[in-house]
Amino acid sequence: MDVIGAERPIFVELADRIADDILGGLLEEDTQVPSTNELAAFYRINPATAGKALNRLVDSGVLIKRRGLGMFVAPGAQQSLRQARHAAFADEYVRPLLEEARRLGLTADQVTDLIHHYPQEQK
Amino acid sequence: MTHTHTLPPRAANAAGIRIEGLSKTFGEVQALNDVSLDLAPDRIYGLVGPNGAGKTTLMACLCNHIFKTAGVIAIDGANPAENAAVLGRTIFIHEDQAYNDAYTIDRILAAMPSFYPTWDAETAQRLIERFQLPIKRRARKLSRGQKSAFAAVLSLAARAPYTLLDEPYLGLDPTARVVLYEEVLRAYSEVPRMILMSTHLIDEAADLMEEVIVLHAGRVVMKADVDEARSSAFVARGLGEDVRRLAGSREIIAEHALGRIISATIRGRATPEDERLAAETRVSLEPASLQDLVAALGIHDLTEALKNGSQS
Repeated sequence: MDVIGAERPIFVELADRIADDILGGLLEEDTQVPSTNELAAFYRINPATAGKALNRLVDSGVLIKRRGLGMFVAPGAQQSLRQARHAAFADEYVRPLLEEARRLGLTADQVTDLIHHYPQEQK
Repeated sequence: MTHTHTLPPRAANAAGIRIEGLSKTFGEVQALNDVSLDLAPDRIYGLVGPNGAGKTTLMACLCNHIFKTAGVIAIDGANPAENAAVLGRTIFIHEDQAYNDAYTIDRILAAMPSFYPTWDAETAQRLIERFQLPIKRRARKLSRGQKSAFAAVLSLAARAPYTLLDEPYLGLDPTARVVLYEEVLRAYSEVPRMILMSTHLIDEAADLMEEVIVLHAGRVVMKADVDEARSSAFVARGLGEDVRRLAGSREIIAEHALGRIISATIRGRATPEDERLAAETRVSLEPASLQDLVAALGIHDLTEALKNGSQS
């Protein structure tokens, strides 16, 4: 079952994708991030939408504006993103997992077993 | 390379387009019925609605290709009728533009700077190459797709502050459509301008638009930010009675049945209470796509749509 919000506004999706790149180390701290026009061209979206995504990340302290230069990954951004994602992990991953398990009639113990025995190389 | 993160600067002297009470009749047919719109400069608008809704008529009236029956049109504060200076700030290549029999593509390109002082030959050259247009061919002899591609070349290279694109993808294959969308964004990024683009490929073009305008039977039934429009309805799918209970007093703007299962487009945002009820009753909730919403508005009783949906 799809939950509402599975298809979120494009600017939220884009902000998350940039955050993913910071978490994954593709965008390092103190480096410049692509401009609104570069993002718009790359993802083929309206530049105003790209601007909203960048502003969302500025508001949450992940990016900082440097006047006349552009936007940069804030120092400590990776760490703070990791903490935020930790906090959201239960709601975003564990809850849907348990909901599906309940629909299938799996107990919490059976789910725990599945996690423990899930092939290591695929973890 | 410079990186700017603010929106592109406003084009000089552009005040936008103001339309008030615009009507156009063709004999017995009321193609536009009391349309009022404020269009900001430097914004990309999508113009959607079923065939015959008045999309092309609206564009043609704006550029004075056809004469309005009633109402006011002001482009940068001036009446475009018989006003060459204002019309020179607009470009609208009609879908079946009548080119002179003898004119080849390169001859038309050579004439463009005299109509558009802002003409950019480099952009034209790049688009000609990307669309692989045969420049020695006569414009009348082009295929449907080539005509669309050529119209895009003229429309985007003119750099007119008010650029109207009428179903610019007609006859283009998927690869060429990607080129078209890329070039629309590139043109807009390089020289910000107002772009009003009509389309039936709503979901494909939605990401390009900042705002969407829905026309139906000659009237504006919705004008909204694309994200707002997307979140103004949701789709619930499940057993009929469960879906109706979930909808409650909220308006169902479209409904499809598959045996006992129905899929209903419900106006408003899904609440946490909806999610709880949906989970209990095996109803699935999904956001409405822009396409769903426009289709729902189209088959919906028009007076209801006007009452609830008109934001312009």
